[in-house]
Amino acid sequence: MDLAFSPEERAFREEVRAFIAERLPADIRRKVQAGDPLVKDDYARWHRILSERGWVAPSWPQQYGGTGWTPVQKHIFEEEISYGWAPRLLPFGLSMVAPVIIEFGNDEQRARYLPKIHTGEEFWCQGYSEPGSGSDLASLQTRAERNGDNYVINGTKTWITAAQWADWIFVLARTSQEPKKQDGISFILADMKTPGVTVRPIQTIDGGREINEVHLENVEVPVANRVGGEGQGWNIAKFLLEHERTGTAGIPGCRQQLEALYELLAHEHVDDRRLHERVAQVEIELEALAFTELRTLAAESAGKRPGPESSILKIKGTEIQQAISELALDALGPYAERHLAPKYFNYRKTSIYAGSNEIQKNIIAKRILKL
Amino acid sequence: MDFTLSPEQLLIKDSVARFAAGDHAGGEHWPTFAELGWLAIGAPEDLGGFGGPLETLLLMEQFGRGRVVSPYVAQVVFAGTILRAAERTELLQRLVEGEERFAVAYEEPHARYDASRVATAAVRDGDVYVITGTKARVLDPSTADTLIVSARTGDEITLFAVPRDAQGVTLAKYDAEDGHDVANVRLESVRAGASAILGPLGGGLALLELGLDHATGALCAEGLGLMSTMLEATVEYTKQRQQFGVPIGSFQALQHRMAEMFIELELARSMAYLAAMTLGEEQDPVARRRGISAAKAQIAKSGRFVGQQAIQLHGGIGMSEEYKVGHYFKRMTHVERLLGDADFHLARFIAARGAKSEAGTPAPVG
Repeated sequence: MDLAFSPEERAFREEVRAFIAERLPADIRRKVQAGDPLVKDDYARWHRILSERGWVAPSWPQQYGGTGWTPVQKHIFEEEISYGWAPRLLPFGLSMVAPVIIEFGNDEQRARYLPKIHTGEEFWCQGYSEPGSGSDLASLQTRAERNGDNYVINGTKTWITAAQWADWIFVLARTSQEPKKQDGISFILADMKTPGVTVRPIQTIDGGREINEVHLENVEVPVANRVGGEGQGWNIAKFLLEHERTGTAGIPGCRQQLEALYELLAHEHVDDRRLHERVAQVEIELEALAFTELRTLAAESAGKRPGPESSILKIKGTEIQQAISELALDALGPYAERHLAPKYFNYRKTSIYAGSNEIQKNIIAKRILKL
Repeated sequence: MDFTLSPEQLLIKDSVARFAAGDHAGGEHWPTFAELGWLAIGAPEDLGGFGGPLETLLLMEQFGRGRVVSPYVAQVVFAGTILRAAERTELLQRLVEGEERFAVAYEEPHARYDASRVATAAVRDGDVYVITGTKARVLDPSTADTLIVSARTGDEITLFAVPRDAQGVTLAKYDAEDGHDVANVRLESVRAGASAILGPLGGGLALLELGLDHATGALCAEGLGLMSTMLEATVEYTKQRQQFGVPIGSFQALQHRMAEMFIELELARSMAYLAAMTLGEEQDPVARRRGISAAKAQIAKSGRFVGQQAIQLHGGIGMSEEYKVGHYFKRMTHVERLLGDADFHLARFIAARGAKSEAGTPAPVG
């Protein structure tokens, strides 16, 4: 057992750090550091810079433009992205639909979609949840009916981050009615410019406008846009959700926010002992979670696919993110209104998205404890 | 980075696991421990020693799993670390061979885990020191031949090796809930020669703190083992136990509770390993203090939750003295508080965060 980074790994960290310091546009760094919202162009610029360097898709196989990094290198890269105040790229194309296309798609689909995801020329969004189907995703009602070489899609998808910027959406839709609700679902890609697609923004409690409702009304999409077999959508959805959960712990970001919190405590001369104890408690849990992530990373290095253990990272990581935003609010006391309160409100989403924390506990109970 | 255990480490783990799974209640196991080399963990190689904090973790985790009641932490990890740091090779050799056993008498009434609050005084009288004072809650003194006693020599604290049956030493034993041997020790004008001094005169506190940190790390590992068994027993039980015509483990309220126990267990596992790594690598006392206190605070918190929920989910049978889970719960409750509870270690963690390291650079944050 040896937890030290190798000289090669340390050199890699230096290389990433130097690259970010040199190439990250200063205006983007300032926004990330200040916690200000980014616009599409910010994401696109940074995406292009990483794409040109060949560092945009660490989770892809090398033949499609992946980096060929070890799990430890990916981890180092993630850390440096946070420490260098670089934005985390939107995951919908790079780490959601692309792995699905690579795993379940055909060669034409790989050739058509992957290069433009790599360069950032095309932005994606995720059409999963519906007004009546949240945690019970398999109850979804959106239909895709066959009409010659096309599917005609009807339904409403909701809570869609970045739909207002997206060129493409991946949709889970029912292609047949089966006795079991998980059957008969397919995974279909739709161009957002197709007639019948409308995007309606949803304002969130923090005042933000990052999520949307997307209506699909007689949207005609070629059958060739289906990834995987007809009715295979549920398996694909599960594959994607497990991919989505790794990395949601957001540990490097938490470390930075915790440091900012300590600075805030010093700056505001907060000497409330109980508050300091609550912060220390969160710091300890963060250390414990960071080491837990390293253990999963080591398992991954030994060839294990990310499994249900990633649910721990999702639950605890989001709890810690929320706790830090809550402590920052409390630290600033009556002056928290303008900046920290919206962040605190916004972070309530973290325990809801990507499979609510209650659903994650179901997964732990069923898949790990075999209850 | 590499998390795999070496073949030697796997060997220890397996042999301790076999012992811990067997019938180990009562009986004298010390000669067996000596023979198997378990008393030599962490000792220098020329004494037949091997391994370090990670090997101690592997052993103590299995002791926890099997709820082995043993003076190992007090007499090998705590005392052994002190003897090693004090460079008392001849005493360490006797410890490793199982020839002599040591208990550490450091805490005093009302000191609340603080090793620096020492009223016991050692006053020089010619060639000898005369020690007088009271030590509280000394762990495993009955089977010890020698007590390592902290006493004030002027403003500083010095450690003395005092035979347990020396004139003026009295043990007031009391029954601990978890089957361990604990006593208050009264020292009344106990005379100790210069060779009784361990380490430098006035250098006792640093030795004690090092020993305490190693012993605390070992307790974290024991807590990890205790929690593992409690969760396993609870999951098994809720699969068997039928109410309302179904296994109670099928109820979501209980499933989520067990998922939470699992998360706490995994966080505790991470911190127990992190503690072992810190002890193995960290030379700077401030960074070591910070790492160990973080670990103990986490293990105490996780252990309390897992223990209380294990009893709750077992229902009435969890309250029964006949059933094993209650015994694990009781030991866990002691492990939580031994050598400092969650509140104590949280405060120590905060203090270490604020302190500059003794090497002159700030304590690392990440």
